Amino acid sequence: MPYASIIVPAYNVAATLRDTLDSLCAQTFTDLEVIVVDDGSFDDTAALASGYPDTRVRVVRQANRGLAGARNTGIAAARGEVIGFCDADDLWRPAKLAAHVRHLAERPCVGISFSGSELISADGTPLGLAQSPRLTGITAAHIFRRNPIGNGSSPVIRRAALDSIAWQPNGPGTRSWWFDETFRQSEDIECWLRFALTTDWEIEGVPGALTRYRIVGGGLSAATYKQLAAWERMVDKLTPLVPGFFARHAGGARAYQYRYLARRAVSSGDGALAIRHLRAGFAASARPAWEEPVKTATTCAGAALLALAGPDILRRIMELRSGRNTARSA
Amino acid sequence: MQELLKIVHLIDDQSPGGVTRYLEFIARHPGMAAMARHEILPVGRTRAARAGIDADVIVSHLTLSWRGIPGLMGLRALYAGTPLIHVEHSYCERFAAARVTRRRRFHALLRCGYALFDRVVAVSAQQGAWLARTGCVPEGRLSVIPPCVALDPMASLPAPDSAIRRIGAIGRLDAQKGFDLLIPAFRALPFPDVRLEIFGNGPQRAALEALAGTDQRITFHGHVAPETALARCDAVVMPSRWEPFGLVATEALAGGRPLLVSGADGLAGHAADGALQVPEFTEPRWTRALNDLVTRPVRIRRLARETAEARTLTGWMDLLEGLRAT
Repeated sequence: MPYASIIVPAYNVAATLRDTLDSLCAQTFTDLEVIVVDDGSFDDTAALASGYPDTRVRVVRQANRGLAGARNTGIAAARGEVIGFCDADDLWRPAKLAAHVRHLAERPCVGISFSGSELISADGTPLGLAQSPRLTGITAAHIFRRNPIGNGSSPVIRRAALDSIAWQPNGPGTRSWWFDETFRQSEDIECWLRFALTTDWEIEGVPGALTRYRIVGGGLSAATYKQLAAWERMVDKLTPLVPGFFARHAGGARAYQYRYLARRAVSSGDGALAIRHLRAGFAASARPAWEEPVKTATTCAGAALLALAGPDILRRIMELRSGRNTARSA
Repeated sequence: MQELLKIVHLIDDQSPGGVTRYLEFIARHPGMAAMARHEILPVGRTRAARAGIDADVIVSHLTLSWRGIPGLMGLRALYAGTPLIHVEHSYCERFAAARVTRRRRFHALLRCGYALFDRVVAVSAQQGAWLARTGCVPEGRLSVIPPCVALDPMASLPAPDSAIRRIGAIGRLDAQKGFDLLIPAFRALPFPDVRLEIFGNGPQRAALEALAGTDQRITFHGHVAPETALARCDAVVMPSRWEPFGLVATEALAGGRPLLVSGADGLAGHAADGALQVPEFTEPRWTRALNDLVTRPVRIRRLARETAEARTLTGWMDLLEGLRAT
């Protein structure tokens, strides 16, 4: 049995899958299996995955169920004691798995081990930016506000810890869910927050930008409303678990969520929308302004400039700042 | 012939809850009496160090707290040669997850407290697994003994009506029990003749009555004896947010009542005896589960009184044997 399983949910990712698999098979910790879950792709993803020369790579195919469903299928097929996730357009640094395996061995109370990430562009070149989240002393409130785990290619999770949040929505004996497949967005944060609010496992990071996280530009402004709706549905779903927690923290977390959406609106050139998000954020809570004044101020400035001077001026500034506004560090 | 052991049980909570009734079982059940003479000694929450206890074994049923630690240290010092056992009635994983922000400090409290005892007794396998994996109880010092209460009144209850019309929720009216989720979930049921009977008192009562609103199907009965409560329901529901063991589940199953549980901590263990687990802690899920309960009733096999009692008796027997051997 391999000690580690790495799950690669793959949906129409023929362009990047090979690089992802290369980076996983080049891990310095070698006792691993890679499970590519082909989530109903209609490009060459399936052929690429099954033709990949390393025998540690397995392919599971299913009709499209979305990211959460693909990850769940991967977990159900995984045999390792620790389970990592790597989306099929992201890359792992060679020492990543070794760092998490060591961390989990040394810290038996830790259930989820994660790392920071380096951001790369669509063609794989470094953007010179990183997600450098808080690594220790993480509470459910930190997860809710700032999601230090960062992205879906960052965590490596102990199997026993994952199984403490499993449930069988279709009755006993049916395939478990770990991620909630009814979510098409916010599925990560829903899972991590539920994990923090229902288990006594710790969530802790290891130093270093061990994940290379690909930022794909574009994205429609309309999508931000869908994202917001998914986030609010997560809050509604989890509130009964610990109502007092949500009463205390939902305002601040919502303000961060709006600031994130405002930053995305700025980077897609929609100043009016960015300002709407910022206003909604401040109505929810001023917390981001005093917790992270610089980042909040630059977001406001970007939105204001964009609304007043139009997208051109901002584009020039954005070139100077090398796309910082496209990067989600929350 | 070997002289009978004398066990003194320390308690700090005499409210009509699970611990008190478990202690009654320990003091009165003939099987427990065959093992040892049991004496129950109420002590102040921070004053466990009572001098002059004449016992071969001392069992703490106290709730650990930082303020209580000096008292427990005193107890250990006074009875250095007497085996001390602690039964963990209060804490479990879901409690820690929902209620404790400073988890390391909390684990430190448990480790400090448990270190003063020769054995720690978990009340469910789930709670025991949590205590072991967090390192709160050192390996080899943990036993799992499910608690029990006098089950003969439940065993002699007539089987419930197979058409489920009276759903019972029994327990302290506290956020722990999740009745604030249950009431709106129940109110969404379309059946005018299905009733929710709530038995118990507690700090959440006014809030729960407000949630029940004008729904005539919901009744608050206050605290009544468990067998009386069970006699008035066709099924029982336990949507607890945390529950180290869940004695009401044992009682409901011994009374042959179909049972829905949230699956938190020890409640998951009752599935083996026929409890049905509701897979998510959300209102729509609970409405659906209640709906299924009413429209597709399941007959459950009554949990035999002897089976439940034997688990507790053999647990204590094994633990005392183990102590004697060391």
